[in-house]
Amino acid sequence: MTLQNLLKIGRLKPHTPTAQEIQRLLAAAERNLADAHASGISDETRFDVAYKAIMQVALAALMASGFRPSSNEPGHHQTMIQSLPHTLGLPNDAWVVLDALRRKRNATDYLGDPIESDAVTECIEQATALMSATRQWLEKRHPELLREEP
Amino acid sequence: MSSLSLATHLLGGTRSAVLAALLLHPESALHVRELARVTGASPGSLHRELRALTGIGLLLRQETGRQVHYRANTACPVFEELAGLLRKTLGVADVLREALAPLADQISLAFVYGSVAAGREGPRSDVDVMVLGRAGFAAVVKALAPTQESLRREVNATVMKPADFARKRSAGDGFVVGVIRESKIWLMGSEHDLAELAQDRPA
Repeated sequence: MTLQNLLKIGRLKPHTPTAQEIQRLLAAAERNLADAHASGISDETRFDVAYKAIMQVALAALMASGFRPSSNEPGHHQTMIQSLPHTLGLPNDAWVVLDALRRKRNATDYLGDPIESDAVTECIEQATALMSATRQWLEKRHPELLREEP
Repeated sequence: MSSLSLATHLLGGTRSAVLAALLLHPESALHVRELARVTGASPGSLHRELRALTGIGLLLRQETGRQVHYRANTACPVFEELAGLLRKTLGVADVLREALAPLADQISLAFVYGSVAAGREGPRSDVDVMVLGRAGFAAVVKALAPTQESLRREVNATVMKPADFARKRSAGDGFVVGVIRESKIWLMGSEHDLAELAQDRPA
């Protein structure tokens, strides 16, 4: 579903991005990603912070594209992941893995399923890749959002 | 190529795909476009097939306004037998086994657990798949992703190294202990292999 279609069905709202919020989101995502590497904390927590970094980066890309998720609609996380092929041009392969991580997070938060360490490693790798793809994309498409004084 | 081809050989690719889509989900009625998406067949060949299958009483055609939907005719005398054949050859286990086949050398054990394995699944239940081996999470997820369309269920993978699994089992991890005890549908390996693995106390 395109961003315009997601807008039409009320999953997205129009948004005017500022350099400050984009940089704040990227910085928060960097901190979460760094925390995900911390030792001495559980796999569940490391997964959670890496997943949070993915959501923050996806939100930065979505806002930079002129949209934000509408907070009164269910399924934000799914919408954010759905938006990635349309914002960053994320290939289907990566999308499939991110969507699996989203469902993993649902299973752990709402069914109490544990997180296996392979999923933690993958979540961190995906967050790292998404972060660098987003920075490159912003540099190319919306350089003003990276340069302006925050 | 695999056991998948049994129903395909007997019934042909399009026909077996259509019958699996409808007979294995007797609660749902599908439009030709939806059937085309699920089976990968062209709407043209589907129309022909659907007319023939409705003609011999295997399917029911229902018109809702201007929409035409098809569903399984569960009153057909051979419904159970045919659904059974399809379940064994194009059902969850075979579709998943086929999807994991390219990773076979990196997988020690793979099985379905949870509601589908226990036969307690509802129309919207996910399929939970445990994969033990060297294969990575992303590789397994990518291999299983295409099955979600034909199975019309979300497929959730849990991917672990056999040593991790054995360690959690020894530590009395509730999830792992539960999975070992519950019903499974085996995709690769057997109950015996699992018992051996779970007994291996990691050094």
